[in-house]
Amino acid sequence: MSLFRSTLRAAAFLGATFLSMNLTAQAEEKPIQIGFAIAESGWLHNYDGPPFKAAVMRIEEINKAGGLNGRKIEYKVIDTKTERERSATAGAELVEAGVDLLVVSCDYDFGAPAALAGNQAKIITMSLCAADPKMGVQGVGPYAFTANSAAQSEGIAIAEYAQKKLGLKTAYVLEDLTIEYNKSACAGFRAAWINGGGEASILGNDTFKNDDPSIAAQITRLKSLPTQPDAVFVCSFTPGGASAVRQIRAAGVELPILANTAMVDNYWLNSAPGLKNFYLAAFMSLYGDDPRPEMNKFVEDHKARWSEAPVSSYAVLGYSLIEQWAYAVEKAGGTDSDKVLEVMNTYKDQPFLVGPTSYTPELHIQTARPWLIMKVENESFRAVEIYRNSFTPSMELLFRVGN
Amino acid sequence: MLNFIQVLFDAAALGSLYALVALAIGLVFGIMRLINFAQGDYLTIGAYALVVPTASVTPPLLFGALPWPLMVAGVLATCIIVALLTERIAFRPLRNANPATLLISSFAVSYFIQHALMLVHTGRPKSIAMGSSLAQAIDIFGVRIPGVQLVTMTVTVSLLIGFVILLKKTAIGIQMRAAAENFQMARLLGVRANKVIAFGFALSGFLAGIVSLLLVAQTGTLDIKMGIMPVIFAFFATVIGGMGSLAGAALGGFLVGVTSVLLQAYLPPDLRAFRDAGVFALVILVLLVRPKGLIPSSASRERV
Repeated sequence: MSLFRSTLRAAAFLGATFLSMNLTAQAEEKPIQIGFAIAESGWLHNYDGPPFKAAVMRIEEINKAGGLNGRKIEYKVIDTKTERERSATAGAELVEAGVDLLVVSCDYDFGAPAALAGNQAKIITMSLCAADPKMGVQGVGPYAFTANSAAQSEGIAIAEYAQKKLGLKTAYVLEDLTIEYNKSACAGFRAAWINGGGEASILGNDTFKNDDPSIAAQITRLKSLPTQPDAVFVCSFTPGGASAVRQIRAAGVELPILANTAMVDNYWLNSAPGLKNFYLAAFMSLYGDDPRPEMNKFVEDHKARWSEAPVSSYAVLGYSLIEQWAYAVEKAGGTDSDKVLEVMNTYKDQPFLVGPTSYTPELHIQTARPWLIMKVENESFRAVEIYRNSFTPSMELLFRVGN
Repeated sequence: MLNFIQVLFDAAALGSLYALVALAIGLVFGIMRLINFAQGDYLTIGAYALVVPTASVTPPLLFGALPWPLMVAGVLATCIIVALLTERIAFRPLRNANPATLLISSFAVSYFIQHALMLVHTGRPKSIAMGSSLAQAIDIFGVRIPGVQLVTMTVTVSLLIGFVILLKKTAIGIQMRAAAENFQMARLLGVRANKVIAFGFALSGFLAGIVSLLLVAQTGTLDIKMGIMPVIFAFFATVIGGMGSLAGAALGGFLVGVTSVLLQAYLPPDLRAFRDAGVFALVILVLLVRPKGLIPSSASRERV
């Protein structure tokens, strides 16, 4: 009887040991969790969707290659329905679910509520494409990043390029006051243009609203200038930006138009038929002529995975977001947020698909990532060349406090 | 120095556009005491009727592909049908409810239309190659006149004349005026409420169609929210002009557009951002001086 009992006990002990060993092994192989608190419906979906699809592509590539540190990556999406309140609850829910990386919407206002939840729980949180430096240490907190460049550097890059490569001397700035993003792009443009050509090289400023049905008054002012400028910088976004470009050209103003990155991609060019002499700083070309072959491969891979080319060139930011975090996880040897954060904060021109990427403990947004300058020709955007701005925005300019 | 005649011209063009939207709002308000915020969404639907309903960002053309008389007819018909449908489904059952309930219903219709459009077309703005020859400007004695502004002003003036004739000379017009004056009395005298109200909505749909075509020709873009700002300005315009007065609505619309352009043109750069605040200040000012609007209707006098 006692023999039976001790055998039983031994078996139970062995079984328990075996079970616990098995559990440890499972814990090691527990998949990495990435949570997306993004808009899958509502207007923001159109801006969150393309980078999200590209992010999924990168996750699948990593899994196919054996996972991250041998662990598979799983992801979960909670729809914020383009509402700030839902962004907060979606973020909190994903944090609760124990995600290792939280990805939030492409906009500071709509991404920050979710990001705050992630930052509070000390989880690395990255925005798909917010262009506001507040999506970082100073705004959300030390664990928040954005995959995009600061809006200021879009304005800086095209200003420098226009002065140095296109030989333009004077500019006129038409600023869309609807959202902060445009104001930041315009602030960057002005700072860089003045830096290169002096205060007097900006011949004037005017403002409009994205939903203005007409900018006739602004065009009249531009045409009434005593000397016409060499270029007009329009900081806006569609549809208002497209409407402005159409009205400027229809009024017979054939000056070169410089614009910010939000005006990239062909979808709006119908508004301004025959448009030319239009330049901006872009992430990449969707039209097969990017000077970087890896970008053209990215478009092909996207077609293979989603049976269509990316709807927007902002997609590449989502792909590189996963790249950036995954690289740090590999380096840190695990998903521990503090260790990953330490690695990410030391990035200095770290090469990723979207371009060299740098972070510091103070700044979690790009200010001098090389841009692909693009121009419009024959009803399509065309790649011109890669250009890296040499003037970088100061902290004051980035947060638009003082000048 | 700005060319003053050019500024006046720009101002008159925008004023005309707002006058048309304000007229539509004023028309429905006059008969039904309903401030129809869905008016802007009739306009949006009309604009989207130019393209095939798809999620594509560069959609093929639908009505936009037709020769222009058919295109105009198609867009106008779409707007009129939508206006009539909303009247039948959302407003007729509430006819005896108080005006606040009607207002809420119009917001519901507005959100419904916006989200239905977003479901089909996605929220990404679209662009459309239409009317670019109309957008080109011609130069007359140094004054730049874009074709679409010329068309806007011509259309507005002819429509205003047309409306005056309609309201003064035709049976339905006279019934509408009677209904606007005193709805109960008009009904007692044999005016059929359903017919008159439906006709009012059809007219507001017609105006929405016209405005959507003019707007698209000007901006070349389609956006889910493209109707919102014109309607807000038009609402202020009807308040300035005098609620329920058609002439007041048209005048108010014109004034709002003109003020907006003049402020844009003559405010110093730092204050230009507050242009719209200036327009709204005008509303307050007018209401302080003339609480019932510039051309008050007799109906509003009775009610106070």
